[in-house]
Amino acid sequence: MKPRRFHGLKRPKLRQSWNKYNLYNLAKTKDPRIASQDQFTFFQQKWRAKGMLRTYHGEHIVERKWERMFSRRLLSVANMDTRSMARSDGSELAAGRGSGRDQRPSWDRERVEPRVMTPYMQMTFAPMERRLDIAVFRAMFASSARQARQFCVHGAVKVNGKVVPYPAYRLNPGDMFQVDPDRVLYATGMPKSNSTKSKKSSSSAGEYEATEEAPEEDAETTTEEPQAEAAEAEQDPDTTDAPELAADLKPTRKQIQDLQAQAKSLLREEPLMKVTHKRRLRTFIKNVKPLLSLAGLPNASPTEIADKLSTLVAELDLGVGQDDKGSTEAVSSGPSASLSESERKMLAQRMEEEMREEEENPHDPSKPYVTPWRPRNYMAPFAFIPQYLEVNQNICSAVYLRHPVARRGAAEVPTPYSSEVNQLAFNWYLRRR
Amino acid sequence: MVVKIRLARFGRKNSPFYNIVVAHARTARNSKPLEVIGTYDPVPKPDPYDNSGRLHKDIKLDAIRARYWIGVGAQPTDTLGIMEPKYRNTAPRTSPTLPREALPQQNP
Amino acid sequence: MAHCGSDLAEESLEGAGRQIINPRADTNFAILRKGTHANKIHQHLEQFFNLTFHLAALGGLRGVAMPPLIPSPAAARSSSIIIRTSPGAARWVAQPLQLQSQVPVVASFSTTASRPKFTKARRLFREWEKTTGRMFRRPTTGQPQYLTMREGEDVSLQPFPLNPQFKSPKVLDEKARELIWGKVMRDGETIKAVSAEFGVDIRRVAAIVRLKEVEKDWIAKNKPLAKPYAQAVLSMLPTFRINPNQSNSPFEPINELHVHPYTMQQLFWPTAESRRFTREDAAKAFHPTLLSPDKRVPHPELIEMEREVAQDRPLWDASERFKQAVMESERKVAEKQVAKAVREEKLTTRVNTNRFEFRFKQFNSENVGPKGRSRSAVGWRYGAPYDDRSKGHQIKIPTSVP
Repeated sequence: MKPRRFHGLKRPKLRQSWNKYNLYNLAKTKDPRIASQDQFTFFQQKWRAKGMLRTYHGEHIVERKWERMFSRRLLSVANMDTRSMARSDGSELAAGRGSGRDQRPSWDRERVEPRVMTPYMQMTFAPMERRLDIAVFRAMFASSARQARQFCVHGAVKVNGKVVPYPAYRLNPGDMFQVDPDRVLYATGMPKSNSTKSKKSSSSAGEYEATEEAPEEDAETTTEEPQAEAAEAEQDPDTTDAPELAADLKPTRKQIQDLQAQAKSLLREEPLMKVTHKRRLRTFIKNVKPLLSLAGLPNASPTEIADKLSTLVAELDLGVGQDDKGSTEAVSSGPSASLSESERKMLAQRMEEEMREEEENPHDPSKPYVTPWRPRNYMAPFAFIPQYLEVNQNICSAVYLRHPVARRGAAEVPTPYSSEVNQLAFNWYLRRR
Repeated sequence: MVVKIRLARFGRKNSPFYNIVVAHARTARNSKPLEVIGTYDPVPKPDPYDNSGRLHKDIKLDAIRARYWIGVGAQPTDTLGIMEPKYRNTAPRTSPTLPREALPQQNP
Repeated sequence: MAHCGSDLAEESLEGAGRQIINPRADTNFAILRKGTHANKIHQHLEQFFNLTFHLAALGGLRGVAMPPLIPSPAAARSSSIIIRTSPGAARWVAQPLQLQSQVPVVASFSTTASRPKFTKARRLFREWEKTTGRMFRRPTTGQPQYLTMREGEDVSLQPFPLNPQFKSPKVLDEKARELIWGKVMRDGETIKAVSAEFGVDIRRVAAIVRLKEVEKDWIAKNKPLAKPYAQAVLSMLPTFRINPNQSNSPFEPINELHVHPYTMQQLFWPTAESRRFTREDAAKAFHPTLLSPDKRVPHPELIEMEREVAQDRPLWDASERFKQAVMESERKVAEKQVAKAVREEKLTTRVNTNRFEFRFKQFNSENVGPKGRSRSAVGWRYGAPYDDRSKGHQIKIPTSVP
């Protein structure tokens, strides 16, 4: 059978994922109105409803597993008002004819408050929320339930301090789960644009389309907005490259390759670089190539290569470094003379803040996400944390407080469809098949 | 016939688990004994949050019944003989000939 | 010419397959040459090659090997004529004709415009991405942005447009968590008192303290925190702020009663009219062991405090007494736990050897039930099957982590 698209546009299915296609489908999905259509039998209505809901709630879990998990017992709570409980012992509810003294609703009041019901039916998929992988997704530590599942399987999730590699582990109230922060940053951060992918996107629209629909990857290959964040001083080759060279004077082939790659990535990632800088970088990349082949030879003298490389880097250095110094001096010396005391303090404070931010969120090319870390696109509309979890984002940990419950007017299970659809699905699972 | 206190192997393949039983010496290992007086889990386990690497083995034993049976002449096998003195050395011992009713009742 | 080689070509096409026409066929053919049988095949192949070369000269190799799936109109016309005359020969006679007509590549006969690059669904998606979807691309405001958000409206808290019954709940912000941690760990207040003061669920207070402790531990160990992530996520969520110096609105209802299954039935319970039928009685009516809601709620002390306030006790006094009561109840729970641990320890004897520690646990072996095979009895039972491997009963993954 042809594999169906995970986020299709033709037959849209709502998924537990932060994908933009999913967001579009979520925005465009109309109320299915299954229950109000006469042409379907009850069986058909239930069948369709449970199908729609199962595409969202743990579609990676086989149906039989879910049927075993399903419980017809729906949990709920009633808010007990302490003041009224203190005032009476409840006997007034048994007065009269046994169901509380009759109080006629006054219909002549301007607005009669409608009765708020408890949406029990929204709790149909509550047992699913107990699963470890779903809970990791709900705590916003993964961008989709499938990714959360992968984190579990790969041993990045701990429960009460122990690695639990079972995504189907059912959390008990009070369990604390932790996810490796690096994985969380990877899952929720802006993905690094892949060089081959970006080439494809620019070369032909057809190919772009093919890559666009790939299910798990975020298809965010469209042109990035130029990022004006000034991490330039820190990213410049003069600060990053020179110390490396000073440290050891025998550059291996690998090191030269690394240097080259770094220069290339700089060219790619910095759209706002000056033209002269770009040109220098390009000539650097070009000139390094023969060195690379030289280093590959068995009888190459390391000192010679090192000399050549250092001259190349120095050339690169001089240009950029001077420019930078000049500009920073201009900034620091020029206006500072005219600044008042308080302003200078403010400036110092801001500098300190920026430095702290820099320390917390550094540029690190070794990471699998864009650094400095930024949230991925289209994340905000999916951002919510259900009440049965208490999350501490700093340590990427959360506590499963209790099972989700229904209360007056609200149910804690996040589900994309209305209670009518959920009710039909609940009815489907009432019978064990 | 000789009455022995011995182990009866239960559990599964590669995961042994023993009942400590009182049985006639000539009966089969896993046949119904006179009495089950305990269990022995021979697989050493660490404590849940203990990183010292120290392992422990769990033994459940009704010491009162064990003392009674030894008092009336039951013979512990060698394996249990190794285990028994270790237990008896540490626990203060009452007279083994006392009938059960005379001893303080302990809840499980 | 095509006719004379037709049967031959047919055979080899079916048998040897299309790879013979492959340019790499030379090598295959060299291998096949060994042996007499191979020689025959070789002759066969040679004839076939001659044929294919001729055909190739006529109209291109591809055309012979694989006729196009959709014939051009000219080919279709001609083949249909031939089919009418002689169906058997049609296939082979048709081909040369078809080959000739295949020379122009572009379908000049087609009057319909070429297919658009994108399907309609995709085009609509791209439009949405550029217009409405643009709003959701990057978090611009420091507030939640859900799909139900409308222009010029305050913040909507409904993430799913079709489910109005699910609202994105507020989360406590960093300062509030720090405050709660300080109250419990630094000021030594009880969890219940902090819960009642800020209107935060007891379990949540405990969880916040637990998580904060881990965070402090990380800081002490110089483990990097996911600060940028925390900042970004909290800016996308509706947050709740607690002001330490004034009374705050409660964060969530704290005195919620679990709806017990016993109470979900409808009862007809005749009582005398003269009798006061209280909550206590109602609970008894549902089940003799069911406690009244006054005892089952998480904060029974809070009800007591309200009662005292209603009896004209000053608020500060009542709240002091409430704190005392809460302290007392927490002490009782702690004592209970300690007593349980002590009891366990008393029943176990530890014997250390150089390899393992033997833990002897005392128990009553006569507690085996009337038939001697009660489920709670220790050890494997005789004659009672163990269902640890039967389907549905087997436990493959742990049910709890200690």
